[in-house]
Amino acid sequence: MPAFILQFAHCHEDFRLAELDALSELEGVAVRYDAAGYSAESPILVVEMDSAASAAKLVRRAILIRSVSEYWGSGATYAELFAEVKRTPGRWNEFMQKSFKFTVEGFGRSLTQKEKVAVIESFSFLGFEGPIRMKDAEAEFLVCEEYGETDLPVPPETPKKLWFGRIVGRGSRHLIDVFDVKKRKYLGNTTMDAELSLVMANQALALPGTLVYDPFMGTGSFLLTCAHFGACSMGSDIDGRQIRGTAGFRRGVNGISANVAQYQVADRVLGSAVFDISRNPWRAGALFDAIVTDPPYGVRAGAKRLGRKNGTVPQKSFTVIDGVENYKRSDYYPPTVAYEMSAVVSDLLAFAAERLVVGGRLVYWLPTVADEYEPEDVPLHPALRLVANSEQPFGSWSRRLITMVKVAASPEGAGPQEAAHDPAHKNFRDKYFNRFEPL
Amino acid sequence: MRLITHNMLKCHVKNCTDPDKQFPLRFKDVQLEQIDAERNNEFLVRMLPRIDWPALSKTTKELDITLPETVPGNPEDDEEFLQALHTAILETHIKQGSMLCDGCGHEYKITNGIPNMLLAEHEI
Repeated sequence: MPAFILQFAHCHEDFRLAELDALSELEGVAVRYDAAGYSAESPILVVEMDSAASAAKLVRRAILIRSVSEYWGSGATYAELFAEVKRTPGRWNEFMQKSFKFTVEGFGRSLTQKEKVAVIESFSFLGFEGPIRMKDAEAEFLVCEEYGETDLPVPPETPKKLWFGRIVGRGSRHLIDVFDVKKRKYLGNTTMDAELSLVMANQALALPGTLVYDPFMGTGSFLLTCAHFGACSMGSDIDGRQIRGTAGFRRGVNGISANVAQYQVADRVLGSAVFDISRNPWRAGALFDAIVTDPPYGVRAGAKRLGRKNGTVPQKSFTVIDGVENYKRSDYYPPTVAYEMSAVVSDLLAFAAERLVVGGRLVYWLPTVADEYEPEDVPLHPALRLVANSEQPFGSWSRRLITMVKVAASPEGAGPQEAAHDPAHKNFRDKYFNRFEPL
Repeated sequence: MRLITHNMLKCHVKNCTDPDKQFPLRFKDVQLEQIDAERNNEFLVRMLPRIDWPALSKTTKELDITLPETVPGNPEDDEEFLQALHTAILETHIKQGSMLCDGCGHEYKITNGIPNMLLAEHEI
């Protein structure tokens, strides 16, 4: 299969291959690459796909891929690169008379306009006769000089590698601006940033015809991004104020319906409800194609569930106020207790195992303590297979975007597997407020 | 709240477990609104196996909404059926009212299209 150059955006390195795999699956484009040989230090990954059309299709929804190019050559020096390009002169003919554009970029070093022009002129051996067009050129070429990142105050003098190709497709990074939370009509203090909300929609394989659910919807970010890609979405939360808009940062905009209108996804954001996911009213059976969520870690949003402290009896339900039993009044709010992180996650897996269709995906954030984390911390379940685990580091703690796929109907009485030791995310809230010092 | 959501929700009060009573929830004092939505046949056809048809049938009758009694053999080719299904489950919104459980009597209120399904202290 012909080779192509993927040019990644310079962020969220640990999420790149996971998104690539998700895109391959949701677009139905086979892609071959050497995962073991790939280092996140490089913005370039060479892959094999069957055609330029497939390549363009693969990246069209990508959030972490900037462009995909037909591989024309690479090398440690321009001499090496030119030698490789000159081995396939046959492919230059197609572009002889076409308008063209060269984009020259340095990774790890800024190139001056003068340097870029010199590079472009060094490619004159291609013999293109068409006009140069900065906008809407018929053929676009990418030269990437990979210097790599360094801790030194000056960038490296010589590049590690040089890459050259013909751009055949671009990703959808422009969506980050479209969904920018600063521009969003309604948000809350736990609203996920646009970039990662969009990556999650790709991890979930959100597609027209699918139904996605968020059990900790907050202000509904994932309902929006999944709906943008054509999926229908539903959400719920124990806190109705976040949904209705009485607790968010921008009051008076009617909550998530303001966002639904802003992004024109009213036809696909099907609804939201107020309930505790640990005591949920969904009927039995496989209902959802994907569950996409950021469960509360107990830090900014108190992770809570319905319940009363051990040993107490229901007290306030039946108190009669103004002739009506308390629990029937519109201002009644049932008591809640803390919902410990490892229980949140364990329950989430059990729920996903039951309510996902086979082949459906669970995509969720797992907070973890950097010094304590071990891969065995990631909870497993017999009905779910772990597909991806990408880390977003914050210093002493990280959160990991976990993707699991349901592989089988849940065996009778099967539950999440107990870890041999306490995972790093157990009692996460206490650890966070203790600044991750040993308790 | 759309009827597709209602078709997936049951009463979950502690000890309310009679499947014939806890689902579907019965609408009470509802204000409906029809809002046009773009039809996606692929979504309708994929959701069909997940929809509880007898429950949907029962509910649409209660609300005076037309829906065929049974699902046709080849629903993906039946435009009329798909349009009727689309209107019923995706374009019919319950804005206000409540959902009643025939089993335990719990009343779940719907405000501005959002149902409150939190359980009281004694119901968990």
